[in-house]
Amino acid sequence: MKQYVVRRVALAVPTLFVVSVLVFALMRMMPGDVATRMVEGHAYAPTLAALRHDLGLDRPVHVQYLEWIGNVVLRGDFGRSYWTRQPILDEFVRRFPVTLELALLTVLVSVVIGIAVGIVAAVRQDTALDYVGRVLSILALSVPFFGLAVVVVVVPSIYFKWTPVYTYVAFSVDPLQNLKIMLVPALVFGVTRAGPIMRIMRSALLDVLRQEYIRTAWSKGLSERTIVLRHALKNAMIPVISLIGLQMPLYIGGSVIIESIFRLPGVGLFFFEALNKLDYPVVQSVNLIIAAMVVGLNLAIDLSYAFLDPRIRYR
Amino acid sequence: MARRVALAALSLLLLLALAIPGAEAQTPKRGGVLRIAEREAPGLDPHLSISFLTHSYVSLAYSQLVRFPNGPEQKHPADFAILPDLAEKWTVSKDGKVYTFSLRKGIHFHNKPPVNGRELVADDVKYSLERFMAKSGFKERFEPVQAIDVVDKHTVRIALKEPFAPFLNHLANPSFCAILPREAEDKFKDFNHPDAVIGTGPFVLKSYDKGVRVVFERNPTYFMKGLPYLDGVVIEITPDSAARVSLLRAGKVELPHIWGWLSPDEAKSVQKTNPELSVVSHQVIGQGFIYMRTDQPPFNDIRVRRAISLAIDRKAWNDALLFGEGCVDAGPVPCALKDWKLDASKIDAAKAKYLVGYDPAESKKLLAEAGQKSLSTPLFHWPGYVVPWRSYYELAADNLGKVGITVELKPEEYGKYISTTALGKYERMAMGPSTPFTEVDDFLFGRFYPELPTNLSRVADAELTRMLVAQRREMEPKKRKQIVDDIQRYLADKAYYVYVPQWPQYVSHPPYVKGFKHHDGYGLGMRLVYTWFDK
Repeated sequence: MKQYVVRRVALAVPTLFVVSVLVFALMRMMPGDVATRMVEGHAYAPTLAALRHDLGLDRPVHVQYLEWIGNVVLRGDFGRSYWTRQPILDEFVRRFPVTLELALLTVLVSVVIGIAVGIVAAVRQDTALDYVGRVLSILALSVPFFGLAVVVVVVPSIYFKWTPVYTYVAFSVDPLQNLKIMLVPALVFGVTRAGPIMRIMRSALLDVLRQEYIRTAWSKGLSERTIVLRHALKNAMIPVISLIGLQMPLYIGGSVIIESIFRLPGVGLFFFEALNKLDYPVVQSVNLIIAAMVVGLNLAIDLSYAFLDPRIRYR
Repeated sequence: MARRVALAALSLLLLLALAIPGAEAQTPKRGGVLRIAEREAPGLDPHLSISFLTHSYVSLAYSQLVRFPNGPEQKHPADFAILPDLAEKWTVSKDGKVYTFSLRKGIHFHNKPPVNGRELVADDVKYSLERFMAKSGFKERFEPVQAIDVVDKHTVRIALKEPFAPFLNHLANPSFCAILPREAEDKFKDFNHPDAVIGTGPFVLKSYDKGVRVVFERNPTYFMKGLPYLDGVVIEITPDSAARVSLLRAGKVELPHIWGWLSPDEAKSVQKTNPELSVVSHQVIGQGFIYMRTDQPPFNDIRVRRAISLAIDRKAWNDALLFGEGCVDAGPVPCALKDWKLDASKIDAAKAKYLVGYDPAESKKLLAEAGQKSLSTPLFHWPGYVVPWRSYYELAADNLGKVGITVELKPEEYGKYISTTALGKYERMAMGPSTPFTEVDDFLFGRFYPELPTNLSRVADAELTRMLVAQRREMEPKKRKQIVDDIQRYLADKAYYVYVPQWPQYVSHPPYVKGFKHHDGYGLGMRLVYTWFDK
């Protein structure tokens, strides 16, 4: 087990290195020039050359990269925004709880709905319940979450003079009000993400339910509830957990739009605004931090396989 | 007896007058907090940003030397008469080169550290205007300024290199001439930090929760006695436009935009679903155009440019996209700039047709004569401008396609667009909106004077250049207007820019919001000084 963990952790390092190089290079390949915009549109410095020098953009690209990544790795310093000159990590730390809470609630909603509907559809295969579940999952898959979000915000405002858009209050300040604010965005985002979970849950469970050990369990006279929930579900969960892990970047990516529509001051908006302003250090560092989180999460998921399935542990 | 009857009738009339709600409603009441749904401003320093959001946000807190009329003072939304603000009076020397401003006495900054409510003095004016000239993206506006001198504690003298007619208008524009206290910059390095927003304006910035809301409170020591009427203003930061309109519909904000604007489509929808809301249309200063590299073939050929203008079916465009409520005579001076606009109907029809006419047959003929029967061109643009701009690009391509011009739409990423195309660095043809300036000089000198980055069509026309310079040096308003008229007549058939219809803006708020009058100046503070709640 220890060897397995070490191997997995070691594999994460090159992944993060590649991410850092890619995001650094991609930002510089984007059309437009941040220094020109800052000088010509916003008068951040008297001349372009002065600003380039000030921002360090006049040095060779590899020097810029090494300085950035060096500061990150050696000092945990993610740099400052070109535009606001504020430390990126401070802003990230301030905003991250909003995005994390949204992601967790979204996962909760999508997992509860997806797994529950998936189990019912598998156990009641080819019945009306199964068909309804499958139709709902296709619907959830095909409705874009941002479209649903706009509908949820706009339609009640027209017909009921009410809209689920509030002024954000942190959980630590007023937990109830905070949950009230987060509930609708999490539901909107979670429902649309429940579709794929339900489909994978259904097919994985069907697969497991046809295996011999399940037939043995039936022949032992165990109840359906015990067979499904205690014997089949744990094995059927592996692809489902993989899927949730794979969807994590989507939760973060989707937060850009959800946060914008529901007025949530999270990382998604921070990232999006930085991208629009070609704020290189912000985009690079936020990307790197999120990539590290995704890698970490996938690592945790891989390790959870080992917990769920001993064969992986001993391979 | 007759006297008794008369007395009774008079009493009855008095009672009736008191009973009519309208009569009572005309007296402004104190109190209430106005809520606005708007995007976050990119910064709060009025000199370090050219964003209208920055300028509107901080216009609540700052004052200027002089200002535009607002509320009951304004005759129409584009009324740019000059009124006293921090300066109570001023004189201009006979040669038009020296302005002397006398400041009001006893005006105090907001009571926030490090300024702590000290008195505003002439040094603050000198510091602020010089900072503007050193740092602002609009600093060219003050290019004719030679020196700013403090005469005494309450007198400032500004000397110009040459007479410059637009000077007072620029000084009155809330976009950039805010008077700031030096101590705040010393402490915070610039004016972007919310604690550094310390002015002499009608509202005091109380708190700023980034990405969430900005709270302003009434300035109890504001120098206009009894104003503002409101207790405060809250900007609810709302990046998404659909969410902003929903907040208006749900009664969670009074204004769905920093100036209360809705797009034509949103306005029509709100009128249908929420008839209780006030929706008033205003032809605001705004302009959209196709611009071309007139310094290169084929657009250096006047026949090609005229052909492009004649291909635009402005009436159908106005009917299809703007509910017939737009203005088709949108340039070179915008429709709303009434004091300067020379309507196309007052220009020789043979020339004006190249400005506003639609004649596809002649367009094709001109293209054939110029040897450009199968002209094809890219059309660079940024697709992210508000609705209906996306339809504008497509409609332009469609109109030009009907006379045989193949247009390839070239959408650009914003960063690239704003640092290249919008500064005149593009190939062949592009399209987009103009900044809604408050000075006619910006629409003429700014768009046509050689070598300026705002001269998007790269016009270099000696006769025109002479007139452009003359109008900005003419200090007598009537004579200046004549030159501006001559410029408009001269430009009518040149088609350096091809103007497309301009839509009105729809200002919407609940009916209990009173006294909120739209003005085309960039400030919000003075609009809200006269705003009050009737509830």
